[in-house]
Amino acid sequence: MGGIMASEAANLNLKVEARPKLGIIDCDVHPFPIDDAASIMRYLPKPWQERFLRKGSFLTNAGAPTRYTNPNGTVVRADARSPAGKIAGSDPHYLIADLIEGNGIDAALLNCLDSAKLCTTQAGPDESIVLAQAYNEHFVQEWLPLSRHLAYAMMVPSQDPLAAAAEIRRIGSHPQIAAVHLPLLSALMGNRYYWPIYEAAQEADLPLFVHVTGLENIAHGASAVTNGSFESYVERYSAVAVLGELSVNSLIWSGTFERFPKLRVIFAEFGFLWMLPLLMRLDRAWRGLRHEVPWVRRTPTETAMSHCFFTTQPIEEPNDPRDLERLIGMLGYDNLCFSSDYPHWDNDMPGATLQSLPEEARRKVFRDNALKALRRPAGIRA
Amino acid sequence: MNRISAGSADDFETGRFRIIQAGSREIGVLRMADGSFRAVRNRCPHRGVPICRGIVGGTWPPSPPGELQFSHEGRVLLCPWHAFEYDLDTGQEMFRPGAPRLRMYPAEVIDGEVWITLRQTETVNGGT
Repeated sequence: MGGIMASEAANLNLKVEARPKLGIIDCDVHPFPIDDAASIMRYLPKPWQERFLRKGSFLTNAGAPTRYTNPNGTVVRADARSPAGKIAGSDPHYLIADLIEGNGIDAALLNCLDSAKLCTTQAGPDESIVLAQAYNEHFVQEWLPLSRHLAYAMMVPSQDPLAAAAEIRRIGSHPQIAAVHLPLLSALMGNRYYWPIYEAAQEADLPLFVHVTGLENIAHGASAVTNGSFESYVERYSAVAVLGELSVNSLIWSGTFERFPKLRVIFAEFGFLWMLPLLMRLDRAWRGLRHEVPWVRRTPTETAMSHCFFTTQPIEEPNDPRDLERLIGMLGYDNLCFSSDYPHWDNDMPGATLQSLPEEARRKVFRDNALKALRRPAGIRA
Repeated sequence: MNRISAGSADDFETGRFRIIQAGSREIGVLRMADGSFRAVRNRCPHRGVPICRGIVGGTWPPSPPGELQFSHEGRVLLCPWHAFEYDLDTGQEMFRPGAPRLRMYPAEVIDGEVWITLRQTETVNGGT
């Protein structure tokens, strides 16, 4: 699609979709603060503004180490820049026109990776608390009122689980907040460190939204997926999906879903086909070793399928597309949610995703499953 | 009636299988804590391995998070391969109804001797 303009690309996507209107829900869209750090600064208390101004170090879109920098210079699509030339994802009006209106999307779940990076390790614990609040205020006040099709995964400062829970209770009732964006730390998801966050999320009926932060295996204290160092962007990019597998494994055996029976988790951008061998392995282990963790009362498959959801992008592309559909068929269609990952370089548009699934499965993947996973945003019909 | 003797009941140690041969089959005979007997084909329904060499004990049943309970003491057989657990009262895999179960035979003590009743189609010389 090299050289094609964004608006033309949107039209192309619309044409490819050309099927019964699904009212698509896109579970992974990355906005960027409208005026970069200035957008966040205005929501910080004065002492914190002064601190960050003096430091000069709190800025969004902080760079990655050289070896993990995208070999093409950036992770955002050049063709998704706004008409004014602003970085992709930073102009809500253009995002609405290009992604939502251009692709028949009923709800786009916004999640801001810059705030995730800051809250996971880049900012200190106290800094992360005020930054999470400021990012949340920016998106709630400056984005959500622009369209009923915008939903938001609110940021929590995971370095302080009690403050994270307080932030959920402070702002989580906003009708367009549909999930809690939890940037993971080095503790696995079943670790009781996270319990206050899980309790508050369950209380608010908000699912956890877990996404790669970009700091896995880079920053001390962030999630680790291996004890070695990756040597390139592509090596790291291909491996972070392991964190999804580790997280499901941890959530299951820790009995987290027995302790928080209404908790739901959306794993975004981790892939999902790995769930097949994982669940087979876990079910087999459960038969022999269940008694070590007797609070895992149902089989791992039953538990995972009742609580975990997975987004589609980046989708595997076997030589024979039917292989992909066969594998998804084995996994079932009930826990898979469409995601575009707009406006990143590896994003998938709905018109080019899982086109030949049976109609009922498409309805589940493109809409119904997301409505089961998310707290339904106001303005989106059930 | 197709019955075979497993020997004197007094010779059995509680909670420890004794293997007897019934034609081509091995049958594990076990004295329970209450004095009753169980006869189990020495073949795990999962992979066909000699299950009667496994642990006879209890288990930790499903319980609320962080709360450990103990039950079925002396009534669970744990396969030495893969550690699947079976209920020695019913032959069922523990907490997994519908899974293949142990093959069990009626066992009774008559005049101090343990008798195992095979199915009509089974003989001490082979058969099913």
